[in-house]
Amino acid sequence: MRTYEGEFTIDRPRETVWAFVTDPHKMGTCIPDLIELNVESENRFRTLVRVGVGPVRGKFDLTCELTVTEPGAAASLAIRGGGMGSGVDMKAEMSLSDVDGGTHMKWRCDAVVSGPIASLGGRLIDGEARKITEKVFTNLKNALNVLSKETRAAVAEKAASDEG
Amino acid sequence: MALPQTELRPMGKSILRKEDPRLIRGKGRYVDDIMLPNMLYLCILRSPYAHARIRRIDTSAAQAAPGVKLVMTGEDLAKMNLAWMPTLAGDQQMVLATGKVLFQYQEVAAVVAETRAQAEDAIQLIEVDYEPLPAVVDPFKALEPDAPILREDKEKKSNHIWHWEAGDREETEAIFRDAPVVVKQDVRFQRVHPSPLEPCGCVADYNSATGRLTFYVTSQAPHVHRTAIAMVTGFPEHQIHVISPDVGGGFGNKVPIYPGYVCAIVASMKLGVPVKWIETRTENIASTHFARDYHMTAEIAATEDGKMLALRVKTIADHGAFDATANPTKYPAGLFSIVTGSYDFKAAFVEVDGVHTNKPPGGVAYRCSFRVTEASYLIERVVDILARRLQMDPAELRLRNFIRKEQFPYRCPTGWVYDSGDYEKTLKLALERIGYDELRKEQAEKRARGEFMGIGISTFTEIVGAGPAHSFDILGIKMFDSAEIRVHPTGKVIARLGVRHQGQGHETTFAQIIAEELGLSADDVLIEEGDTDTAPYGLGTYGSRSTPTAGAAAALCGRRIREKARKIAAHLLEVGEDDVVWDGTSFSAKGLPGRSVTMKDVALAAYTNVPEGMEPGLEATYYYNPPNLTFPNGAYIAVVDIDKGTGAVKVRRFLAVDDCGNVINPMIVEGQVHGGLTEGFAIAFMQDIPYDADGNCLAPNWMDYLVPTSLDTPKWETDRTVTPSPHHPIGAKGVGESPNVGSPAAFVNAVVDALSPLGVEHIDMPIYPWKVWSILREHGIEE
Repeated sequence: MRTYEGEFTIDRPRETVWAFVTDPHKMGTCIPDLIELNVESENRFRTLVRVGVGPVRGKFDLTCELTVTEPGAAASLAIRGGGMGSGVDMKAEMSLSDVDGGTHMKWRCDAVVSGPIASLGGRLIDGEARKITEKVFTNLKNALNVLSKETRAAVAEKAASDEG
Repeated sequence: MALPQTELRPMGKSILRKEDPRLIRGKGRYVDDIMLPNMLYLCILRSPYAHARIRRIDTSAAQAAPGVKLVMTGEDLAKMNLAWMPTLAGDQQMVLATGKVLFQYQEVAAVVAETRAQAEDAIQLIEVDYEPLPAVVDPFKALEPDAPILREDKEKKSNHIWHWEAGDREETEAIFRDAPVVVKQDVRFQRVHPSPLEPCGCVADYNSATGRLTFYVTSQAPHVHRTAIAMVTGFPEHQIHVISPDVGGGFGNKVPIYPGYVCAIVASMKLGVPVKWIETRTENIASTHFARDYHMTAEIAATEDGKMLALRVKTIADHGAFDATANPTKYPAGLFSIVTGSYDFKAAFVEVDGVHTNKPPGGVAYRCSFRVTEASYLIERVVDILARRLQMDPAELRLRNFIRKEQFPYRCPTGWVYDSGDYEKTLKLALERIGYDELRKEQAEKRARGEFMGIGISTFTEIVGAGPAHSFDILGIKMFDSAEIRVHPTGKVIARLGVRHQGQGHETTFAQIIAEELGLSADDVLIEEGDTDTAPYGLGTYGSRSTPTAGAAAALCGRRIREKARKIAAHLLEVGEDDVVWDGTSFSAKGLPGRSVTMKDVALAAYTNVPEGMEPGLEATYYYNPPNLTFPNGAYIAVVDIDKGTGAVKVRRFLAVDDCGNVINPMIVEGQVHGGLTEGFAIAFMQDIPYDADGNCLAPNWMDYLVPTSLDTPKWETDRTVTPSPHHPIGAKGVGESPNVGSPAAFVNAVVDALSPLGVEHIDMPIYPWKVWSILREHGIEE
């Protein structure tokens, strides 16, 4: 098992961040190299993603299931699936807390990778898995930033029109 | 310069290899070259998990895929009572998994399709629902009381398989209690793989009209394979025809039966057409038999002046998920008790415990006799540690403790009776040829300048050539071997043997043995091996046993023919049999110069003009049961220089002085030594199959499991001493494996010697540059 973790602060209120990360439509799109996203219910979605580790390249079919552990503050995402005779079993946990000027997010991901992708990828797998996991949260942060800018722009626009 | 095959009296001469024109030109015929009409291809779906329960397997999409003719799972095989098969160690192994998987890359399902590509594509469509279970990777953790039990099918609810011991515990303990000096070292012999150039594979061809199964397989032991197939499937043995065509390297990997073979046979019988299965490189390394994986602890008790008194060894053997080690039934740890090596210990006690882990099964001898490399590496490593502790030259310590020439036949404390040897002579020749004293002087100068140069010695003793039949068997079949010689009317010979060569040069060396006995040239003798319909029964080629067993059978079979030939010669010479003299190439009449007949004359007469009352023809069969094993030995010296900047080890010189008894073909012996040294070099510096904590195999390919190229390989120097085996008909001992057995310790001893000014006493193999680099940096050594 491999563990990856990180944290960051975003200048958006906790409710907004919470609403984003618990919405499969929004969260699903943060997965890098996404080919297909099928939201099956409000807490379950399936994705088809492109994967490449060393010489092994192909598609992974992943089922993601969201569990709220503490409404508005903590949730976990179980990701299971695989492809090309390989398997992935991940559990990502995230917790939100209020900080000055926004929300602090801490995340941690325990991943078990099996099959040729784990062995053929050899020593490449660790860096690759870290990269993918970090990308998810970078995408998340970027998406929230865009959201925040859009909102700010909208607010500014609204203010401008109000003035006008 | 090698001699032509037409040379008479070829024994001991470097005759050109008869197999080379075919093999060098790419005209060999390997199992994957076999193409039969209507042949289908089989591929195997393997487990991504090291340990998981199988909840469900859905094969419907694969069944419907283009070109697919058959999909098989463990449940399908269970209906035929073939879901499990016996291993060489008397355990059983899953053919296709039922219930759960026990190692990554374990066989789960098989697909047969019109093309290999179709079969590969279809296995991807099989859906397996796994429930991952905790994997047990470390054999020491496997023995802890709370470790998950891997083998639910076994009665014994433990991951411990067996305990085995040799020697005298009490006597050994007593010596250790009073010993002035004791050294102790943990030594790991890592998991490696024979990794032959040609992976495993077969073509199963069941003919429903004749009821015969023709089974082409890359096999080191075709007769054993036929018997095992008969036992596993219940198929009548005489209706099974096993053909082992040219074998592209074996090194032990091609002794066992693999699940793919059973699947191909079942598929061919179900479908009534030939079915081919050829492994990929990854399948070969990650699922077929590995070698070594011994976690050893050795202690030597000695006196202050360097007399070694007793040896104590404790070993944990990681056997993987199934106990499939290729060892004779009586010896679950093979011949590991040869660990007292070339030294005259008063007492020794050796313990080995076999353990299950979530790794592939195996434990074959990778170019060595059963577990002999582990033993040899251990003793040669620990003797060096003792030398360091006593501040004694490692050559001097060895010379002081060798079994002396006059002690042979020598019974060692674990019970083996060594046939012959002159260890002192062999080491002294090696020291002189390498210029040992000058090298030590050079080393002292370099050390004074802060450079790292090392000299490593290994003086090993091997134990090869199993039988004798009273102690050795495979699946209960006694380990004799055989030869059959047919001399045809024009004096040309076809000889068949029960062994199967994989590059050892049997077609040449056995032709030389027979030609020598019959007064012919090697060119006159065609050697055939590997076809169970024609060759006499034999146990196969591994453990350096071909020359000690089948080579002996060939010589004695030749002598049996010569006895009949002598009678025919007497008839032709018109003298009494007692008056016939054999001079090596012809029979002559005693006291009648000029009257002689050759074997060719006799051969023609055997079919045209035999004496009254004699059976016509000139052929014989011989089954040879060796009275003892043979004990090849040698003295190897490696000289290395270490690059302080990169930690890379350069093997500047390597000298191998071998004593394999009488030599049949010096050129082939030298080639064997070169090959074995190259593999020993690979093990010492490049090869390891590690697993991560989840049981993922981290080196299932040649990017991570390294095979040396010509650029990596050092230049080898060879020499030899000759101490014939007293009990072998031609005094030969076997050599194929000596260089792999003896060399790892020489390499490691040299590196440790180079780093000894830093206080380094041991480094586990493989010695990657980063390991050396880390040691240098830890001690503040910069470029």
